[in-house]
Amino acid sequence: MKDFDYLEPASIAEASEMMLAHPGGSVMAGGTALMLALRQRMVTPSHVISLRRIRDLRGITHTPAEGLRIGALALHAEVARSPLVRQHAPMLADMASRLANPQVRNQGTIGGNLCYGDPATDPPSCLLALNADVVLRSARGTRVLKVDQFATDYFATALEPGEIVSEIRIPPSAFDAGYHARFLRTAAEHRPLVNFAVSLRKQGDACEDVRMVIGASTRVPTRLRKAEDWMKGKTVTARLAAEVADLGASEIEPISDIRGDGSFRRDMARTACRRTIEDLFNPAGSAATSAA
Amino acid sequence: MSKKTIEVVVNGRTHRAEVPARRMLSDFLRDDLFLTGTKRGCETGVCGCCSVLIDGEVIKSCLSLAVHADGHEVTTIEGLAVDGVLHPVQEAFVNHGGLQCGYCTPGFIMTTVAMLNDNPNPTEDEIRHGLNGNLCRCTGYVGIVESIKAAAEKLRGN
Repeated sequence: MKDFDYLEPASIAEASEMMLAHPGGSVMAGGTALMLALRQRMVTPSHVISLRRIRDLRGITHTPAEGLRIGALALHAEVARSPLVRQHAPMLADMASRLANPQVRNQGTIGGNLCYGDPATDPPSCLLALNADVVLRSARGTRVLKVDQFATDYFATALEPGEIVSEIRIPPSAFDAGYHARFLRTAAEHRPLVNFAVSLRKQGDACEDVRMVIGASTRVPTRLRKAEDWMKGKTVTARLAAEVADLGASEIEPISDIRGDGSFRRDMARTACRRTIEDLFNPAGSAATSAA
Repeated sequence: MSKKTIEVVVNGRTHRAEVPARRMLSDFLRDDLFLTGTKRGCETGVCGCCSVLIDGEVIKSCLSLAVHADGHEVTTIEGLAVDGVLHPVQEAFVNHGGLQCGYCTPGFIMTTVAMLNDNPNPTEDEIRHGLNGNLCRCTGYVGIVESIKAAAEKLRGN
């Protein structure tokens, strides 16, 4: 690893100034991803600016009007066990409890995950399905973006120089069910080949409203808008689940890399989508029912 | 070279040291404190044999800077035995064949100690999921899982 200067700003404003003063620097939250990149000399920053002393980036709170506020430095393990997250966004807590492995959950942060822009991770698709806001702060002020505005491309975000993510907000929602499913190429993998996140409002066997997202297989998490429109207002049968999954799989642009080529990822996206919808509605004739 | 002074409690003993900013926690433990029980394996966050506890939670010391441990308590494999008496998890790994070559063992044991602190009565599925940040090339994991079940039982007072 190349040598660097190490800085520990005490406030968001100070961090922002340091980032502008050292454009060759890297910002570090938990460090799980950055350390790998540093060790392999994929990045060679002049400065590492650690955010760990900034108290404003910590904590998980909830108000009925604004919903959940999760500080950017919240560890995945903290998100997983937070009673507030478990109550108000159970699919997020459930996702965080299965993310990567225990060591990474104890060191990696939700904000760091978003800022690194690595597509092969679980939080971005889950947060997009929850309609989360990403709050960005700098010495110049505050911006609030949706996850699909924040994640702009493969390992790229809307962050501007001197800007850091301070918190994630999950607004109160009219959805009453949801799930985040991940598919790994092998059981020993830590990174998902594909993940599928869904928030929905059920009325008996019918789907009143739905948001669906495919992640990890695409450059950025992708809303399945055609599939959502097809599903809304309909009774969910095994046949409808298959139709929705076919539509959803047709509207993503899968990446090809060492973990899987695009056609395999599209197939797995279709399967993850269909199975998750079947599990949530358990319609007659579905695999979930016939297996029972 | 950029240096920082850190104060870290390791296995109950306070260490003040001046370290290069880029010193990994695994290197600090092994090369500066000579606590060589913590192993360096892949050094890319995959194998888990560098696992240690920070404030009781398991992390990979090859993915963590020593400066990030400043002000915290670190527990390594050397910190488990008390007056020469093995920790119940160590004892269980010995008695139930939880190791062959032993290189991954300190990492597995630290992960297990943290796992059983959080969940004193894990199912086999929870044990296996709890180990997914640690790799063993020798045992096939059967002996490791048996060891953890036995350690959990003993720690629960049975």
